[in-house]
Amino acid sequence: MSGRSRRDFLKVAVAGAGAAALMPSGGRAAGKTITVLHESSFIPPFDEYIKTTLAQQYEKETGIRIVYEVTAVGSLPTRIATITETGSGADVTMNGLLQVIQFGDKYVDVTDLCKEIGEKSGGWYDAGREAVVLDGKWKAVPFCNIGQLMNWRTDWFKEVGVTKFPDTWEELYEAGKKLKAKDHPFGFELGHGFGDNHGWLYPLLWSYGGAEVDKDGKTVVIDSDETARAVDFARKFFKDTMLEDCLGWTDVSNNKAWMSEQISCTNNAESILWFAKKEFPDIAKVTDQAMNPQGPKGRFHMMGAISHSIFNFSPVKEEATAFMRWLMDPKQLGGWYAVADSYYQPTLHAYDNAPMWDVEPRNKPYRDAMSTAHLPGWPAPASRRMAESVAKYVVVDMFAKACAGTSTKDVIKTAEAQLKQIYQA
Amino acid sequence: MTIRTEPIAIGGVRARPRQPFSLPMWLDRESVFSWLMMALPLMFLAALVGYPFFYGILLSLENRPVAQPGTFVGLQNFVTDFHDPVFWRVAFNTFVYTGAATLLKMVGGLGLALAMNQAFRMKNLVRALLLLPFIVPTVLSTVAWLWMLDPAFSVVNRLLIGLGMPKPGPSWLGNPVLAMVSIIAINTWRGLPFYGITLLAGLQTVPPELYEAATIDGAGGWQRFRYVTLPLLKPIILIVTLFSVIFTFADFQLVYVLTHGGPQNATHLFATYAFDIGMGAGQLGLGASVALMMLPALALLIVALTLYMRRSA
Repeated sequence: MSGRSRRDFLKVAVAGAGAAALMPSGGRAAGKTITVLHESSFIPPFDEYIKTTLAQQYEKETGIRIVYEVTAVGSLPTRIATITETGSGADVTMNGLLQVIQFGDKYVDVTDLCKEIGEKSGGWYDAGREAVVLDGKWKAVPFCNIGQLMNWRTDWFKEVGVTKFPDTWEELYEAGKKLKAKDHPFGFELGHGFGDNHGWLYPLLWSYGGAEVDKDGKTVVIDSDETARAVDFARKFFKDTMLEDCLGWTDVSNNKAWMSEQISCTNNAESILWFAKKEFPDIAKVTDQAMNPQGPKGRFHMMGAISHSIFNFSPVKEEATAFMRWLMDPKQLGGWYAVADSYYQPTLHAYDNAPMWDVEPRNKPYRDAMSTAHLPGWPAPASRRMAESVAKYVVVDMFAKACAGTSTKDVIKTAEAQLKQIYQA
Repeated sequence: MTIRTEPIAIGGVRARPRQPFSLPMWLDRESVFSWLMMALPLMFLAALVGYPFFYGILLSLENRPVAQPGTFVGLQNFVTDFHDPVFWRVAFNTFVYTGAATLLKMVGGLGLALAMNQAFRMKNLVRALLLLPFIVPTVLSTVAWLWMLDPAFSVVNRLLIGLGMPKPGPSWLGNPVLAMVSIIAINTWRGLPFYGITLLAGLQTVPPELYEAATIDGAGGWQRFRYVTLPLLKPIILIVTLFSVIFTFADFQLVYVLTHGGPQNATHLFATYAFDIGMGAGQLGLGASVALMMLPALALLIVALTLYMRRSA
């Protein structure tokens, strides 16, 4: 770097700092401000839309300024923890799967608001409700689901005579065996990621009739013949269709493997197709998506719920509630959903046939999957214990250990001991 | 600095009437001044090390879900830890990881320092380059390793397959044993320059006369190393090892980025497990109890190491 540019840089930096110091901070002096915390979206236009369109529109209508604060992917739970522990930092926050459960005590009860929104927009999906209701109270306004579904390579499946995605796990296994023999293995995450592992392993467990805990949220029921059958299936499914490396995968791994054409089938959100269409159009052409296969006890999916909550210590609770009512109105909400195609699947029935679903018909299975989507602790209601089981990877590691060669009996015994400690403490 | 023009009063020579209190003179007194200089770092330590430490102890004695008030439960969290099979796996992993990585770094670092102590062309440049793994932020270099260990298109497996290993080559992060080997290797790679450069500094303080004297007495290369270099380097080896043990034992970033404790908890360490329980599951009390379990183990290790080094010195 030359001396001149260094000097220029300093000038700019000093000018910038000066301008920042002179600007009114937070804007509270001019009028009220609502700070909305959101995790950075995988679809950039999504964040842009609320910042440049919705926020400005709201300020014009009401005079209230909306500050849309974006936090990095993965840092949301830590940010919310800091805000709830210190009692300041934001007024409204986005929640991922577990945050409503963990921080529900610090959130405003929005039961009435949600009923009102539901009546206006065709009613809520059960899965949407399941993710936000604690002890009968709605602690967040459901926003959407980010579904985890099957992604498959139509061209390679065709090579082994499969033109429609297999309907059952066993049929998928048969196809996978043939594909692995042709050097097109499957790749399902069995390591310690956040989403792509739980995304297929809980549905697999449920589809064989297993579950980690009973409806009461206390009785651990993992030790069952149904679980054993699911584990046995997972072992052969891994051994005969997958790469060994899947055991150590985290969430980026299957996307990477997909774009480098290493795998013919995986379980992921819509992001694989979305990214392929943008960067690898040839791969996108032969990528399709389907609902999870069914097992002996049905077809299931993982709920990747996203919702919005209002902090109960916020000085602008009423204003924030009014803002949420405005935001969830179809006039605003429809546009916000639409900019992200269907990456965020609405949990309101009014959007079941919205034009956003026609942009990419291959995404439609994500809509259809929502009626069979649940939280990890299902059929028990959402609880902190469920969050602990997820954070300790109890079910993921039960399957992963079996895939790595431990006996079915042993892996279930270990999982049961861990779950008992969690649910019966 | 100003030049003193008055004659310097010599205390105790003459009995003088007690001088009136003067702030500058009071501040000049050594006992006051030294405490003054210490105050800031002490406050700094109390706020940034002391407070979190004692708050951590308090947390570990509470059932404290995030965003909820805590209730005192005594040692219940520790009892829970002791009944948790994953906790014992984590303890085992941490000891293996720390032991293996520290040993490798010690031996490798000493070799590196000895090699760097020789005279050769572009010595300074090579020495500076050696520090690179230590300078690059851990998260960045670990992401690079993540790519290098990919079985399909990585340098490592390409090379192995090129050398005749059957496809697709070892799964470095999917196999529990290889995953542990990988994190140990990467930690060693990252920590080696720290050892190397510090020991090199130690080597350069060894007076050449000692080597000359030893040579005259008929000592060979190995004997010079064994009886001159090693004893003189021991205090420095002790310090570097202490640092390294502490950093390795409490390592977080490398594992968090590379494996997140997988596969099947084979690489979970105290720090990553405590984070998952505290932040992931929102059980701050239980998480703090796992993190605190590092303390007795680390303290024992350090005491044992210090005693050993002292005795053999």
